[in-house]
Amino acid sequence: MRGSSSLLSIHSSLLWRASLRHLSRHPWQMVLSTLGIALGVAVVVAVDLANESARRAFDLSMETVTGQTTHQIVAGPTGLDEQLYVTLRRSGRLPVSAPVVEGHLAYGEETLQLLGIDPFAESRFRDLLSHVPAEGEEGLLQRLLTQPGAVVMSRERMEGFGLSVGQPFELWSSGQRRQAVLAGYFEPPPEQKAVLRDLLVADISTAQELLGRMGQLSRIDLILPDVDAERLDAIKSLLPAGNMLISAASRGLAMQEMTRAFSVNLTAMSLLALVVGLFLIYNTLSFSVLQRRELMGQLRVLGATPADLFRLVLGEGLLIGSLGTLLGLLLGILLAEELVQLVTQTINDLYFVLTVREFLLTPMGIIKGLLLGVGGSLLAVVVPASEAALSPPRSVQNRSGVERGAQRLLQPFAWSGVVLLIAAAVLLLLSDSLLFGFIALFVLVLGFSLLTPLWVSLICRYCAPVFGRLFGSLGRMAVGGVQASLSRTGVAIAALSIAVATTVGVGVMVGSFRVSVQQWLESSLQADIFISPDAPSGTGHEAALAPAVLQIIEQLPEVAGIRQSRPVEIQSGDEITHLTALRLAAESYAGVQFLEGTPETVWPMFDREQAVIISEPYAYHHELHAGDTLELETNRGRQPFKIAGVFRDYETEQGVVKMRMPLYQHYWGDKSVYSTWLYLQPGVDVDAMLDKLHRLVGDQQALRIRASKTLREASIRTFDRTFAITHVLRLLVIGVAFVGILSALMALQLEKARELAVLRAMGFTPRQVWGLVTAQTGFMGLVSGLLALPLGLVLAAVLVFVVNRRAFGWSMDVVVPGMVLLDAMLLALVAALLAGLYPAWRMSQTAPAQALREE
Amino acid sequence: MENNCSNAFIRLNSLTRTYLQGERQQRVLDSVCGEIQRGETVALLGRSGCGKSTLLNLIGGIDQPDEGDIFINGTCINQMDEHGRTLFRRRHIGFIYQFFNLIPTLTVIENLLLPLELNGYDLTEGQRRSMTLLEQVGLSQREASYPDQLSGGEQQRVAVVRALVHRPAVVLADEPTGNLDAESGQQVLELLDQLVRDEQCTLIMVTHSQAIAAKADRVFNLRQGRLVTSEDLV
Repeated sequence: MRGSSSLLSIHSSLLWRASLRHLSRHPWQMVLSTLGIALGVAVVVAVDLANESARRAFDLSMETVTGQTTHQIVAGPTGLDEQLYVTLRRSGRLPVSAPVVEGHLAYGEETLQLLGIDPFAESRFRDLLSHVPAEGEEGLLQRLLTQPGAVVMSRERMEGFGLSVGQPFELWSSGQRRQAVLAGYFEPPPEQKAVLRDLLVADISTAQELLGRMGQLSRIDLILPDVDAERLDAIKSLLPAGNMLISAASRGLAMQEMTRAFSVNLTAMSLLALVVGLFLIYNTLSFSVLQRRELMGQLRVLGATPADLFRLVLGEGLLIGSLGTLLGLLLGILLAEELVQLVTQTINDLYFVLTVREFLLTPMGIIKGLLLGVGGSLLAVVVPASEAALSPPRSVQNRSGVERGAQRLLQPFAWSGVVLLIAAAVLLLLSDSLLFGFIALFVLVLGFSLLTPLWVSLICRYCAPVFGRLFGSLGRMAVGGVQASLSRTGVAIAALSIAVATTVGVGVMVGSFRVSVQQWLESSLQADIFISPDAPSGTGHEAALAPAVLQIIEQLPEVAGIRQSRPVEIQSGDEITHLTALRLAAESYAGVQFLEGTPETVWPMFDREQAVIISEPYAYHHELHAGDTLELETNRGRQPFKIAGVFRDYETEQGVVKMRMPLYQHYWGDKSVYSTWLYLQPGVDVDAMLDKLHRLVGDQQALRIRASKTLREASIRTFDRTFAITHVLRLLVIGVAFVGILSALMALQLEKARELAVLRAMGFTPRQVWGLVTAQTGFMGLVSGLLALPLGLVLAAVLVFVVNRRAFGWSMDVVVPGMVLLDAMLLALVAALLAGLYPAWRMSQTAPAQALREE
Repeated sequence: MENNCSNAFIRLNSLTRTYLQGERQQRVLDSVCGEIQRGETVALLGRSGCGKSTLLNLIGGIDQPDEGDIFINGTCINQMDEHGRTLFRRRHIGFIYQFFNLIPTLTVIENLLLPLELNGYDLTEGQRRSMTLLEQVGLSQREASYPDQLSGGEQQRVAVVRALVHRPAVVLADEPTGNLDAESGQQVLELLDQLVRDEQCTLIMVTHSQAIAAKADRVFNLRQGRLVTSEDLV
């Protein structure tokens, strides 16, 4: 009767069939754990795809505008003198080269990127004009070169704006109206459609006119096929002071570096959601094994080996993990479409203009999701699978053996937890890296979760008599039940605690940040009125107030003081430095809060010497302090500036260097002013002044003229919008945890079906059973909330003092709002009670005879 | 591991098994010795908690003695490792329990095929054999039913067939009628007796009933951790 050896395979089809039927007979268990994994994977995949889409969109956009360019000649804020290009070409020592003027314009509410090129020099660099369809090519070159304001735009935009070839239309640059004419349109190939959608192409002189940069070039693009140091030096020797030769990639790298911390933070948050999802699969499969201990024992008695059972449970984990992962991938893709808009919005608010019209479904994003979902599920199931396999048959049959085992493991788990907490502290103290900060954060969470069962056990021990006195036998049984099923309740409470602690940690961090930003806004925005050109978000360094407008402002009798600023980007090698030139009003000095140096020592140096003040993030990232010297690339060559002080600033995370306006003008020759703050004479009505300014400026320049109060509110709105993504992720983490606790409670209550049936047989009413289950779930919620508070505060401290500091360089005062703590307790309690509703109802409705028979 | 100095099919050699009960060591089996011949039916009597099930678990290889040896057909099973014992049990032992212990997620026929599949037998032939045995116990119409669709007596009849379907040398039955009414219990016993004799298996059956014990070839009594055979009593 011996059959083929393949039947000896431990992947017994009947074992597997029994296992599948068990899962199908417990659909809620299967659905919940699948959903938990799916949500975890979805968040990770969505964040990854959104980040990746933004990165790819940025890369593509850089590739499109740089084309075959290998190197660029760039200069400071005023750009290059166009004569330089002529001189260099005439010298005969320049390789293949093309001048470029680049900037942003507004069409209604839309921001468009303008690329001014020399059509004759262009063909070796970019193939933008090759996308013009044959029917539109005729006469296009002539129109571009001769017709004032002639631009080419994408067909999609042309149709979207309702324009046709030859039609004039208005564009806005730095708040000033410009007249343009649509000379033609291009139809980019599908892979470049999104990138070229918002691009305008014009002849270089037209671009200069439209952007108001007569005689200026943004850069000169070069193609240097064989780069050697000698050749580079030869080109550098031709350049006037303040002009630099850089590799084309370096500017892209410098810009991408700006968003690095933002991407890392998002990824960490998404991984936290997955960790909670993994807790869930551990919980579900662990319960699934517990539920079938007698069955497993039977299989062992019949001759199934430990390896058979191990693989069986591992197979179940693989099945649930795979299903959850596939679902998570689909959900993640859907979520990414929404998330990519939030990510783009944040990048535009904080960093630079970026258009991400669609998210990119990259194989790596999918593979990462698959590996994390399936791999993580297998990892989570190893413990329950070992639990099933490693016990000898006799004790496999012994249900209470598991809990005895769990009780025995309490201390080793707790000690492991303590070791991990110490390891986290060591990691935090020993390294300054952001990555280590995040690793420490995860180790901290893991250490805490290992300590949870011991805490739960201790809390139960001390609470049981109290609950007994308050609620009688029911209260004692509710607490006792949590203690008796610690292998299950401990995990559920740990999962909920981590989720709630995450909301506390992030809540306290965001709250503290918000309060600090508010205080900073209050002190730094003390002027009454703020005036700036109506330029698109992220293009402030390109815009300037028209001289006529500045003249109007300076002649206003109601104005007591004027503060002016000019923010620019200075490139030095691979790094972009944000420099703001300031002309301070007497009233402005008091609004700056120094972290290093005092107003008495800093201001005299700032006003009279070759000195600057730097913001806290700049000081942190560059390891600079008051008294150090900072070197900057100026139009007069590289110059040293003494650091007079370090001030608190939340404007940019890359940090900013501030310099008095005359010093800036001396070194960069730029007289532009971007924004002006007005301090009004006492008694002048701000609203009346706003009306007067609008009236006086008229249509000379579109301006944003706002009262400081409005600006403070707008700043806080931007802050809130930046953290909107964090709120979404927090909600998702809570969602995953809710599913986890629901699953654990269902498991727990069904496991207790017989006990509850006995109580019903003894005379407990369904209402009393409902009360017992609800009391137990409520107690679990309470314990989760209590344990979440200390962990949440520790997480907040790590986020504020380590992660935030290392990622952004900001310090802030920790503010723990009582409401956040109360919210956390309520959240834990409500989540547990809600999750307990269905199990409680189901248990109270089960006929005792059926429950007893089923057992 | 081989022992040829006795012709007994099962030989228990000074078996000792102690359990920790709270803080106290409880010696359940104390130098138990005994021999059982091939094809013999043995009833194991004794008070509750005297170690009958422990002895059955030791013979079945799902527990290990603290001291002593168990030889089955000359093979010392307690010298085997866990994996070896599992394979030995899978091939040579059939178990019947008081609470049936059928796999709830498998149908009747699948429950019977499971030991065959684990042993790597041809399942087409295994299905024929299972059906023949089911006919013998009067359940051929219930092959597609799940255990919870059967009565207690029917479940135990399936459990009997499952214990014998892979032609084990030894069947160990732990109070197989303890959870059945008198009539069903009688039916199960008659079937068990008949099948064991047809298949020429050795049967060791734990029972509290003197009447059931009376039908066995020999009766063993466990008293204070020691085995007393019917011959000893005579």
